[in-house]
Amino acid sequence: METQFKEVEVVNRKTSFTVKDLAVRLLALALTLVATVLLGVDKETTTVSVKLVSSLPPVDLPVTAKWTQMSAFVFFVIANAIACSYGAASLILILVTRGRNKLVPIMVTILDLVMVGLLFSGVGATSSIGVIAYKGNSHVQWDKVCNVFDKFCQQVAIAIFMSFAGGIAYLLLIVLAALKLHK
Amino acid sequence: MASIDSTKEKPSGPPPKSIGPVADVGLRFLLFATALVAVIVMVTSKQSKLITLAPGFSIPFVAKFSQSPAFIYLVAALSVACLYSIITGVVSVLVLMKPGGSATKLQFHFVILDALLLGIMASATGAAGGVGYIGYKGNTHTQWRKVCDHFGSFCSHFAVSIFLSLISSITLLLLVWLSVYALSKKISKP
Repeated sequence: METQFKEVEVVNRKTSFTVKDLAVRLLALALTLVATVLLGVDKETTTVSVKLVSSLPPVDLPVTAKWTQMSAFVFFVIANAIACSYGAASLILILVTRGRNKLVPIMVTILDLVMVGLLFSGVGATSSIGVIAYKGNSHVQWDKVCNVFDKFCQQVAIAIFMSFAGGIAYLLLIVLAALKLHK
Repeated sequence: MASIDSTKEKPSGPPPKSIGPVADVGLRFLLFATALVAVIVMVTSKQSKLITLAPGFSIPFVAKFSQSPAFIYLVAALSVACLYSIITGVVSVLVLMKPGGSATKLQFHFVILDALLLGIMASATGAAGGVGYIGYKGNTHTQWRKVCDHFGSFCSHFAVSIFLSLISSITLLLLVWLSVYALSKKISKP
């Protein structure tokens, strides 16, 4: 294990990428993929009993909660899908042009930063909507929704957490790139 | 050689300074300005209106930024960005004044802090943008009524604030790009 690690260090100095770099990129790719899929297939149908007319017994209406109903969720899914496909493309690009092209690491770092901004804004938007859905907002008369759609809300929470971790992973890539440039 | 130098140089005489540190200070000032204006606009957005629920029965309703946790988070993040831009702007100017000083260690620290702040600002912008969008359009699926038809001035205040915080986030992005570019240039020189 020790010799393997030393080998990697030697490779570091000669080429322009590290195994650590690739591992974190793969992690970011996986996390954003999971987040996209989790929210992309999030759908819950449940029945709500509604009293239409006071004389008749309450009627059971089926109500559906889908991610397409909220624009913040749509933004979240699109942002994570972009981050995921960028992660795959940059991973392939780095592996293919091993240190031959000087421009690739800089371009990748620049785009990594864009991904950080995109992912974090998606997380922020979805979690603010989630907090309102969870607690409601009495000042604007917005009712809480999560008591009805429990499973949907839980899935959204997990997706937010995954995307946040993916954003942290991209941030870590920026830090690694800065460390590499500095040393 | 001497004639070319005299046309391009500043009158002070030392080798021509790169645009990097000056652009850094300029961008930090822009960040400070946009964050400050956004905070002020957000904090002064209070609007109270008399809403008639039934003929002859009206209640005063107040719309403040503190009623929504997303807006509170936006104001907090903007204040942090403002303070951060002041501190780093001063440090950056000090480095600029020192002639020929090597700023790589500083730029390295700036990259990390700027990227972190970018994450915070981006999430705050996203949060306020999400809530603002629902306040503007409403959402029929969750029976959330739109607010902006009653509180027009409040809505325009936070629309301006969100737009300015978006500019702050982009400024932070440009700052990190600048620092990464400057760091990479330093190592490509022999």
